[in-house]
Amino acid sequence: MSNLIRHALLIGALLGAFAFLFVGAGMMIPMAQWDWVDIASEGGTSLLAALWCLTVLSSRPDGLVTRLLAGGLACIMLGSWADCLDEVVDVDKAALWDNALESLLPLGMLVLTVGMYYWRLEQATLSDHMRKRERLFRNHRPFDRITQLADAAYLREQLRIESRRDDHHGCALVLFDIDEFHRINREHGQPEGDRVLQAVAHMLLLNLRNEDLLCRYAGDRFAVLMPGLNEPEARDAAQHLCRMVSSMRHHAPKGRVRISLRHGCAPARGAPDALLADLCRQMDAV
Amino acid sequence: MIAWQPAGEPSIPARQQPALALEYGRSRDACDADLLHDTGLVAGLDPDSLVAPAQYLQQLANTLRTLDSPDTSFMLGQLLLPGHDGAASHALVQAPNLRALLQTLCRYHARLTPLLRPRFESWGDVALLYWIDAHGAPAIRPALVEMHMTAVVALCRWLGGERLPWRFCFNRSAPRHVEQHHVHLGTELRFGCQLDAMLLPSGWLDRPWPRASEMAARLAQQAAEQEPERAPGILAALYDYLLAEVRMAPTLERTASDFGVSPATFKRQLLRHHTHFQGELDQVRTHVALWLFQVERADNEQVARYLGFHDAANFRRSFKRWTGLTPGPIRAALDGELGWFSAALGPGV
Repeated sequence: MSNLIRHALLIGALLGAFAFLFVGAGMMIPMAQWDWVDIASEGGTSLLAALWCLTVLSSRPDGLVTRLLAGGLACIMLGSWADCLDEVVDVDKAALWDNALESLLPLGMLVLTVGMYYWRLEQATLSDHMRKRERLFRNHRPFDRITQLADAAYLREQLRIESRRDDHHGCALVLFDIDEFHRINREHGQPEGDRVLQAVAHMLLLNLRNEDLLCRYAGDRFAVLMPGLNEPEARDAAQHLCRMVSSMRHHAPKGRVRISLRHGCAPARGAPDALLADLCRQMDAV
Repeated sequence: MIAWQPAGEPSIPARQQPALALEYGRSRDACDADLLHDTGLVAGLDPDSLVAPAQYLQQLANTLRTLDSPDTSFMLGQLLLPGHDGAASHALVQAPNLRALLQTLCRYHARLTPLLRPRFESWGDVALLYWIDAHGAPAIRPALVEMHMTAVVALCRWLGGERLPWRFCFNRSAPRHVEQHHVHLGTELRFGCQLDAMLLPSGWLDRPWPRASEMAARLAQQAAEQEPERAPGILAALYDYLLAEVRMAPTLERTASDFGVSPATFKRQLLRHHTHFQGELDQVRTHVALWLFQVERADNEQVARYLGFHDAANFRRSFKRWTGLTPGPIRAALDGELGWFSAALGPGV
């Protein structure tokens, strides 16, 4: 919050400084001659650009893209502000500084465009990173904070979509439990348990096809939706995933932790809640 | 006189359950100001001080709200038992089997689970553990029940080395989704029941646990008995009292005098714990009636006589008032539940 306030103050100070500069250098135009439409549109552009700039600064981590986007918006804000002040203060039209300030507007647009270009590159990288964690549509809410995977609500949504689709390629749902996970939590502490969850999530992600979806169902239970696979194929894929995880080494401060998975598998058909309850029952029986 | 503890008086060592909950909240990136908001503990949790149950309840409510995650109550439950209460916790860990564990838990409940009082009953093939609100926390009761059930399930799994086939009844409507219940408790869940209970085939009670040592268990029990008694919460004490007195037509006046306060004070105390005498009495009578239906296979006439009603019709009317249902459908539902449970016991049990 304090960062946001600092940025807001900085923007306010810049706008104020511009106003002082204009009032100091020129003559006030009598109010009767003001063009209110121009003042409103230029002043409004400036204030909205200020708001966008603050939004960018407060919602993104610092970095090249953030600086370009925020810098471009700040230039647009100042350029429009200079335009707006021009309407109320009569400045010598030959003065170079006034023209320079007004040219901030196109400069800002240029900087913003460059920022957008890098943003696009960044987004492509992130989308690649998210591919196996989301499918078909993006919804920013249902993500698990520890593993950065989609949660059970998102899984149910995907199962609903899958059950509505009427193609004959089939789709399988596999659940994975970490063996003796409660013991890892007791003996190594819950923060170490969280790290195990992250490690397993990474290992599973690395070994999935691009069209698969990995979710954290709850606790130590993961779910993988495998479109286009029938049950034997999915079982085969699940066994491979279990082998990959059991060959992984997890090093805790108190020594090596052995991690293995067990799995349950079913065709992804029917109502999501009933399907998941049946599969969970199957997991408990393992 | 009956020993009891009002929710507003400090009685829980801050280094125990409150510190664990605070630690968990911090590990999920919540700040102390949010977690301890309105608890009167904003200066921080001094590990050597005592915390009032009301403060601990507020802290848990804050934690649930701040973390805003469906697994919070279950994760807090994973951390709850055996706890850090010296001899009592040690006796829990040293329990040689499930029966001893549940008995130890119920005996030292004021230390081990100060917010909910567990009661353990066993008849025929069935072992039952149910939970009574000790300090009156209707707002977060579902979360407390999840937390305490998870604590027992996780402790038994750890000590027994295997998943026990628990079945669960909840005195609440079904939540929208049950994935957390599936993973932390199990898949056999019933909602809309009259009490918050966990059931298990009684055959599991006396199976020796892998690490059991009779000597260690005896020593741990003796050490726990040396500890000074801690008074249970007012509602836990009242439930026990009313259960013992249920056939003597308990009144507010006599109960208050047995609790060592004036009726007006007692009434005010109950109000402060979000309840009233008649409500608590009705709850106990409901539970006794259910018990008689289920275990003694009693009919309305017998239950009415047992509970001191003039006749079956009177009892039937009251029962409807307590539960919203007449004994008939409830008995059918119980049979359904027992059937649900018997089916799980499987053939040959």
